[in-house]
Amino acid sequence: MRNLLYVVAVTVALLTSCTKDISDLNIDPKNPSTAPSYSFFTNAQRSLSNTLASSNVNLNIFRLITQHWQETQYPEESQYDIGTREINDNFWNALFRDVLRDLREAKALTPVDVVNPDGSANSGHQQNNLAMIEILEIYTWYYLVTTYGNIPYSEALNIDDPFPKYDDAKTIYDDLLARLDVAIGQLNPAEPGLGEADLIYGGNVDQWKKFANSLKLKMGITIADVDDAKARETIESAVAGGVFTSNEDNALLKYLGAPPNTNPIWVDLVQSGRDDFVAASTLVNELLDLKDPRIDNFFTEDQAGRGSPTTSYSGADPGVQSAYIQYSHVHPNITAPDFPHVLMDYSEVEFYLAEAAQRGYDVGGSASEHYANGVTASILYWGGTPAEAATYLAQPGVAYSPATFKQQIGIQQWIAFYNRGVDAWISWRRLDSPQLQPAHDALSDIPKRFPYPVNEQNVNTTHYQEAAEQIGGDVVETKLWWDIF
Amino acid sequence: MRKIASLCAVLMLLSAFAYAQTRTLTGQVRDSKGSPVPFANVTIKGTNSGVSSDANGNFRIDIRDGQSLVVSSVGFAEQEFKVGTSSTLNITLQSQGNLQEVVVTSLGLKRTRNQVPFAAQQLAGDDVNRSRNANFVQNLSGKVAGLDIKQNNSLGGSTNVILRGTKSITGDNQALFVVDGVPYNNSNTNTLDQRTARGGYDYGNAAADINPDDIASVTVLKGAAASALYGSQGANGVILITTKKGGKGLGITVNSSISVGKIDKSTFTKYQKQYGAGYGAFYEDSTGYFLFRDIDGDGREDLVAPMLEDASYGGKFDPNLMVYQWDAFDPASPNFGKARPWVGAAHDPTEFFETPISSNQSIYIDGGSDRGAFKMGYTRSDDKGYMPNSKITKNLVNLGGSYNITSRLTAAGVINFSNIEGKGRYGTGYDGGGARNLMTNFKQWWETNVDIKEQKDAYFRNHKNITWNWKDPDNLVPNFWDNPYWTRYENFSNDERNRYFGNVSLNYKVTDWLNLLGRASLDHYDEIQEERIAVGSVATSEYERFNRSFSEANYYFLASLDKDLSTDINFKALLGFNLRRDRTQSIRAETNGGLIVPKVYSLSNSVNTPNAPIEFDGTREVQGSFAGATFTWREMVTLDATIRRDKSSTLPEDNNVYYYPSVSAGFVFSKLMPLAEWLTYGKLRANYAEVGNDAPIYSVNDVYIAVPPFGAEAQTSVTAAKNNPDLVPERTRSYEAGVEIALFKNRAGFDVTAYTAKSIDQIMPVIVSTATGYNSKFLNAGTMENKGVEVSVFGTPVQSRDFSWTINVNFARNRNKVVKLFEGADNLVLADFQGGVSLNATIGQPYGEIRGSDYVYFNDNKSPANRVVGANGRYLVSSNANIVIGNANPDWTGGISNTLKYKNFSFSFLIDTRQGGELFSLDQFYGQGTGLYPETVLLNDLGNPSRDPVASGGGIILPGVKEDGSPNDIRRANSEGTLGYRQPTAGFVYDASYIKLREAAINYAFPKSFVDRLKYFKGIDIALSGRNLWIIDKDLPYADPEESMSAGNLQGYQVGAYPTARMLTLNLKLRF
Repeated sequence: MRNLLYVVAVTVALLTSCTKDISDLNIDPKNPSTAPSYSFFTNAQRSLSNTLASSNVNLNIFRLITQHWQETQYPEESQYDIGTREINDNFWNALFRDVLRDLREAKALTPVDVVNPDGSANSGHQQNNLAMIEILEIYTWYYLVTTYGNIPYSEALNIDDPFPKYDDAKTIYDDLLARLDVAIGQLNPAEPGLGEADLIYGGNVDQWKKFANSLKLKMGITIADVDDAKARETIESAVAGGVFTSNEDNALLKYLGAPPNTNPIWVDLVQSGRDDFVAASTLVNELLDLKDPRIDNFFTEDQAGRGSPTTSYSGADPGVQSAYIQYSHVHPNITAPDFPHVLMDYSEVEFYLAEAAQRGYDVGGSASEHYANGVTASILYWGGTPAEAATYLAQPGVAYSPATFKQQIGIQQWIAFYNRGVDAWISWRRLDSPQLQPAHDALSDIPKRFPYPVNEQNVNTTHYQEAAEQIGGDVVETKLWWDIF
Repeated sequence: MRKIASLCAVLMLLSAFAYAQTRTLTGQVRDSKGSPVPFANVTIKGTNSGVSSDANGNFRIDIRDGQSLVVSSVGFAEQEFKVGTSSTLNITLQSQGNLQEVVVTSLGLKRTRNQVPFAAQQLAGDDVNRSRNANFVQNLSGKVAGLDIKQNNSLGGSTNVILRGTKSITGDNQALFVVDGVPYNNSNTNTLDQRTARGGYDYGNAAADINPDDIASVTVLKGAAASALYGSQGANGVILITTKKGGKGLGITVNSSISVGKIDKSTFTKYQKQYGAGYGAFYEDSTGYFLFRDIDGDGREDLVAPMLEDASYGGKFDPNLMVYQWDAFDPASPNFGKARPWVGAAHDPTEFFETPISSNQSIYIDGGSDRGAFKMGYTRSDDKGYMPNSKITKNLVNLGGSYNITSRLTAAGVINFSNIEGKGRYGTGYDGGGARNLMTNFKQWWETNVDIKEQKDAYFRNHKNITWNWKDPDNLVPNFWDNPYWTRYENFSNDERNRYFGNVSLNYKVTDWLNLLGRASLDHYDEIQEERIAVGSVATSEYERFNRSFSEANYYFLASLDKDLSTDINFKALLGFNLRRDRTQSIRAETNGGLIVPKVYSLSNSVNTPNAPIEFDGTREVQGSFAGATFTWREMVTLDATIRRDKSSTLPEDNNVYYYPSVSAGFVFSKLMPLAEWLTYGKLRANYAEVGNDAPIYSVNDVYIAVPPFGAEAQTSVTAAKNNPDLVPERTRSYEAGVEIALFKNRAGFDVTAYTAKSIDQIMPVIVSTATGYNSKFLNAGTMENKGVEVSVFGTPVQSRDFSWTINVNFARNRNKVVKLFEGADNLVLADFQGGVSLNATIGQPYGEIRGSDYVYFNDNKSPANRVVGANGRYLVSSNANIVIGNANPDWTGGISNTLKYKNFSFSFLIDTRQGGELFSLDQFYGQGTGLYPETVLLNDLGNPSRDPVASGGGIILPGVKEDGSPNDIRRANSEGTLGYRQPTAGFVYDASYIKLREAAINYAFPKSFVDRLKYFKGIDIALSGRNLWIIDKDLPYADPEESMSAGNLQGYQVGAYPTARMLTLNLKLRF
């Protein structure tokens, strides 16, 4: 028995000698638990731009839906196959998780680290930073709500509520507009902003003010068909606040020449070594019909003897399998690694103003002036000359005609939104111009919205089902609340 | 070391002097009930001399003084008998399953079979080694009821080892390997991309480092009760390996084997031979099937194959059509500038596979005396795979010894070193441009006009990337695919792992009933994996390296007590402490944007500054203490209880201690029926056990991710997985009951076990709505239940002097159910795969539901006849891609092994089966769509070639109905995609069942008379064995249903599946 006691004693001694605190091992030595607020903003801005600029068939197929581009051997996405690659999940995740969540973190950390050298709060600087973060957040929400309809909003971005309810899209939209007004009011050019961490404007507060008002204008015009009064009020106050006045104001994210911070189109079209996309016949034929000077900056010429006898511009028909070599390709400028992505530009602002003027809102200037400014701004941005723009505008098919303003602005906006598929898609749905036909062998009608992510169906099932019912069915044909025509 | 050497010398001297007078011994062999045992083998220990007893158990043998007899017979444990001075010896053999059979249990403790109250199945070393295989783990398949082994066909690939079903929804479900009482790390370093079939190499798992030649026995402890003392690591069952120990006297064994193989053609693509390259008729010539260029400069357009395409929906073969193909644009080719007849390739990719050859050489020396024993072994194996430029080399060294310092104190130590070098492992998954998994090329995207031998010649002429897949005659760069030989010889991987595994122990026998053991063990390895993409490939050139080191130290202190409290009651007790500390450090770095100088694979050769490497450094410490008590009454009733306390560093400080108990009972009821002649042995057993488990490293505190900066601007991001400071330990609770019966002197018997296990509070990254800004949050959420039955049956239908036949049958059925996920969620996506299918855990369903798109059925009547076809004649595809289309769980698994012995010959074979369960084949989904397979050229209902234009009587009518419910009569073009990926994924789900002739072996032991004539030898055995000889039955076309991407939870999906190799091995074993 004495031996047994000895054993017990030794064991107890060993046990007690090893009870030092081991929870320190839970601290990851290779990843930070703190970081500066602005670094989340920079990352969110790049992620946002990447998502909207991307031409990856797993993420962004809006160029195909709007028939700017078409696929070659594998036309599934041109035929609206969204489910196989879960494009609806990926687009949603990119905006919620990779953009909005980081913006929220930037907001939360700003009061902690935007301080004076003595450690006291720098409220003016903080306020500017927070307003910029807020404006980018509203911009991001705009694309979510116009892509899916009802979405999680009031309960979103809170991990304590892992399955948030969906809010009514119009209610969200109204709230976004209210938040935008507050943010604009907070911007103070006398105080510093985000500085170089802001990849778009280098922290320039005046530019952010213009950007925010232009966003407000864009959001106002989006609901013009469905709520004339609200659109008028929003647009008139945006214009009074000061919107973009030239291409100098354009919100561009200027990519770098080297991975991983390049233009995503370079990754998809050049680095990949693949030949998946050619021009769509829909856009090329329109450009040819209108003798559009932008065509030689949008696309390359095809080659004589490769499907057509002469060298010219040609595009593949939507949804039809095609040979890459036979058609016009995306212009090499656009596929350059450092080609900037346009988040918002002067041209679209002028088109919105044209439409607002046509609808009788007080935005200064006439509809036709704004229309001409919009067309001209786009041509100049794409490397054309004022003379080319003037000639172009003088053509009967291009010159402004009030009677068919939706159709006409629709077509010009669709052209000017080249390489900005998601904006072209919103514009097409709202103005129903140009008249696109569904692709060959299409799986559905041309999508009017994206279906909710499969993940939402799986995990947020109850709220998903409610939302699907409220919007009138979770299918691509369901029109969103602002898309009444 | 010096001591062991001198010991060795003494032993050799002793054996030399051990010469004495020979005399004749007679005797009879009987069983414990006094009946004679006929045809028992009686051999002289340490020699090959022996005789058999006759039909009445009588034998006669010539021996020398001091020698011992080793007596064995079917159904009886092998036993040793000292020969005294008398000339007769009556031998009583104990039935197997009686006292003498010893089962190795947790922590290497030994118990008699009567005292084992849980399921444990034991295999002898020879059973796992019969057919040689560099990875012995694969040799366990079909031999243990309830052990589900899934291997893949890639060289040195990982092996999935699951006991009693998947328990953890997102965690590790692999069984624990334990070598001589010490956990042996079996990590799998395959990346997430590799495991979700997005490309990468399968570097195998680390248990493959175990030397098969060093294995004395394998015990499989299936349930938690058996393994509670290993703590959390043992929750998935334990595979306990006991290595060889030095015996008395000196033994030298040399084993030499060579294997060759050939692919099983039923597991590879069969190509159609009627149509060549292209996706359709939309190219340049008047037929639309060809490019139309002036190649010979005569001013007239010539036909050029659409080389840019990777499909075979092109022009119909016609030997009169002269077409320029890829080789016409290779200046080094004899066909340069020449058109050639448009015909199918003479050599299809079946001929890409080389003959796999492996060789295994080992020498093993052991020896010992009363004071100690030693062993040393060296094994070298070279495995050359069937893919060109692939090879795995292993050097394994084992050294161990023990020394009795005093009669009570024994010191022992063992050290194993292994060096594994791999080169050119097989690419896996679906990895996009310039894919390194050539099976995706050969099984999904190929031109049937391309001759693989010509591709080989083209590469070897100048070692350039002369691909069959040029973008264009005017743009001679590879389009989607590199020359396959370029892929194998330029874009290859290599890897190396150096491992040290060993322990030292001191055992002090305080009294004859109390034993103290202290043991320190270390398992440490360093590994490197290097991957490269050469300049000139489709994909951006690249060099990537991954360095990882792992160490696990275990310190045990164990006091064990074994005392007969009275003549009837035996008491065993155990008190122990275990400190486990493991640390993993890794760093992964790659070049950015390509390589500057070709063929220089270094990080500094990067076009752009490489991004910061990804580092990991994680340590886990678990402090465990445990106690156990066992009472046995009259070797008949055993009651056993254990308790363990663990404190783990990976849990939040307030919740890092957890206790878990087990209780077991065994009842050898045959003891109550001594008169029942037919019943040799009968035991009932039952147990309940809990196992606790901690969290994965770093699931408590949140961190941020540093993203490569944008120029000079810092970027950080919130992680996609939210950690949780409120985690508590998870638990598995299991019940098990079983019966063991042996009948008719062990001529037949069975073992049946039923179990149920429930894993609750599982710590898992719960998938949340991504509208939260996260993918997942670590929570104690899931509950999974496994219920099952395991049956082993053995029998010896024939037993005579010269001939015997034994059968072993194993059967296991496991029913798995996801009981609970996080509140509000009824499904959890485990992985999304290429093609739009996912693997899921769904409440109320077995784990591993396969979801994807389905057909649209008329009136929702889900029969193939009701598949609805749209106006274009194609099947409509459900708008929802989240429909259940299959389940990966098998219904049951089993194996039947037979051994037939005739004189010195023995023949054995193993049939291994897995029934039920399904898989999705991306190979068929794509390959049927690109027109590679014979099914894509069938005649249509009119008897015309279906690929002919619809206008000329071609086309196909897909079986089904139109949207109005009337029979489909739309004859649509049999064009690219129609029979494949333009259909719902549900059409490419196959039954994953198989029946395989897994092993067959013929062994011949040279007769004693012959061996004796050759001096020095104790035995010579020669064996011819085969592995994976024949897939007797399967549903999956053109592939092996067992083939998987990797070990782990993600099964039920097949992409770029490698063919199975039939291997034939010749083995020579010499004993000195």
